[in-house]
Amino acid sequence: MTSTAPASTTAERRRRWLDEVFDEPASLRTVAIVRIVLGPSVIWHLRPFLADALDGTTYLDVFQQKWWPWVPNAPTGLYVALLWVGVAAAVLMTVGLWSRAATWATLAVVAYNFFLSETHFRHNRAFLIILLAGVALCDNGRVLSLDARRRPPADDRGLVWPVWLLRFEAATVYFASGFSKLIDPDWVGGRVMHDRTLRYEDDARDVLGDTLGDPMLEVLTARAFHWMLSPVAVATELFIAFGIWFRRTRLAAVWVAVAFHLGIEVSAQVEVFSVIAIGALAIWATPSTRDRTLVTPSRWVKRLDWTARFDITVVSGASWRMVDRDGTVLEGRQARRFVRTRLPATFLFSRFWRHP
Amino acid sequence: MVVQLGLVANGYRDPHNYFAFQPFNESSTYAVELVRVLPEGERVAAPNGRWEGYDWDELIGWRALQAPWRQRHAFSGVDAVVDYLDHALDWMADNTPDDTQTLYLEATVTYYRNARGPYATVIRSHDRALGSP
Repeated sequence: MTSTAPASTTAERRRRWLDEVFDEPASLRTVAIVRIVLGPSVIWHLRPFLADALDGTTYLDVFQQKWWPWVPNAPTGLYVALLWVGVAAAVLMTVGLWSRAATWATLAVVAYNFFLSETHFRHNRAFLIILLAGVALCDNGRVLSLDARRRPPADDRGLVWPVWLLRFEAATVYFASGFSKLIDPDWVGGRVMHDRTLRYEDDARDVLGDTLGDPMLEVLTARAFHWMLSPVAVATELFIAFGIWFRRTRLAAVWVAVAFHLGIEVSAQVEVFSVIAIGALAIWATPSTRDRTLVTPSRWVKRLDWTARFDITVVSGASWRMVDRDGTVLEGRQARRFVRTRLPATFLFSRFWRHP
Repeated sequence: MVVQLGLVANGYRDPHNYFAFQPFNESSTYAVELVRVLPEGERVAAPNGRWEGYDWDELIGWRALQAPWRQRHAFSGVDAVVDYLDHALDWMADNTPDDTQTLYLEATVTYYRNARGPYATVIRSHDRALGSP
């Protein structure tokens, strides 16, 4: 008996996990948040293609390298019309009108444009397509949408296996990037970053000016600096890839991920990658809503609780009191601190927040 | 999930590492010397990518391969750029009908891989059918 007990526990855990992934409906609120972020990102992504089209140039007029010969070329007029359909679908996606159909339509346009030519390939665009596909697979209009306002569903729950797929994809992006650099001696040894920095030294000096530029560039262009920084960059990506899976490290991984993406956005041109990657972090929130009760005197909490972590009662003059999922009660400063770590707008600064 | 893992693994073979998510993989640079080779074997330079009224930058219309006769950052790495250039030469050969003299285009790509080099490789387009435009 004693030897079979751990095995059955493991089997039971696995069965419960599979039920959770494939059978049990859960909140799709975080998917709706990703949907809302993806809409403007798609418009921003399509913008250069539309700008070229307005100037009279499409992919048909320049070098094109087909992914597969069987992908049909759209004539210019139809191609431009499709881009506008993509923009319209992205708007509908964001406001949540015919949410799911709009998401599929957006995905179809973005993917078609992407697969017209290998010259349209960028890592951020590939990630955008993956996210659109994952969101389209979910019943993403059940909450935070005009659909939900017009025909309110019984709840915001639906099957969440695509969310797990998205989690896998998102973690894979960090892992693949980090691991490929880890096994490349030029990268992990600092040679790649050092060389790139040297190349943009003059541009950086123009931006920073001589007074600020000289001391900063003396550090930034030093070989030793990149010898130390590059392994940290690799470790950061790998930490996000693995840390984000575990409850204990998830919040830290999300925090690091946001800082990481902001750093990339400042130092490189990555199109929509920073926005969609930060938006996609929402999928790591536990897919259950309002399962912590909160009594607070602040109306702001309700406005900032976009992921609906709390069942909030606002009582003027009351002291803060929060009951966690496991029944743990936090009061006063502890409750405030906890709440701030769970609100998307404040969690990033919550570690530095002074709690009176 | 299996497909994605396969694509990640394929990224170590595929110069473009499509869907393998290896951004900023190299700091490599490259420059191209473009020549037109005539049927008699004469090699004619195409300064700044211009010849017979054609303009490389205008026809290619893609930032990653713009002005390659200057030292450029290799988008997605040297191997990816050489592969793109190889296809671009074929595309140029097919889309310059008013050029009735050039048998094929040839590019000598001089590159530094992560600041090591220079190395050089020569690529060429397919032969063009010559005749009246």
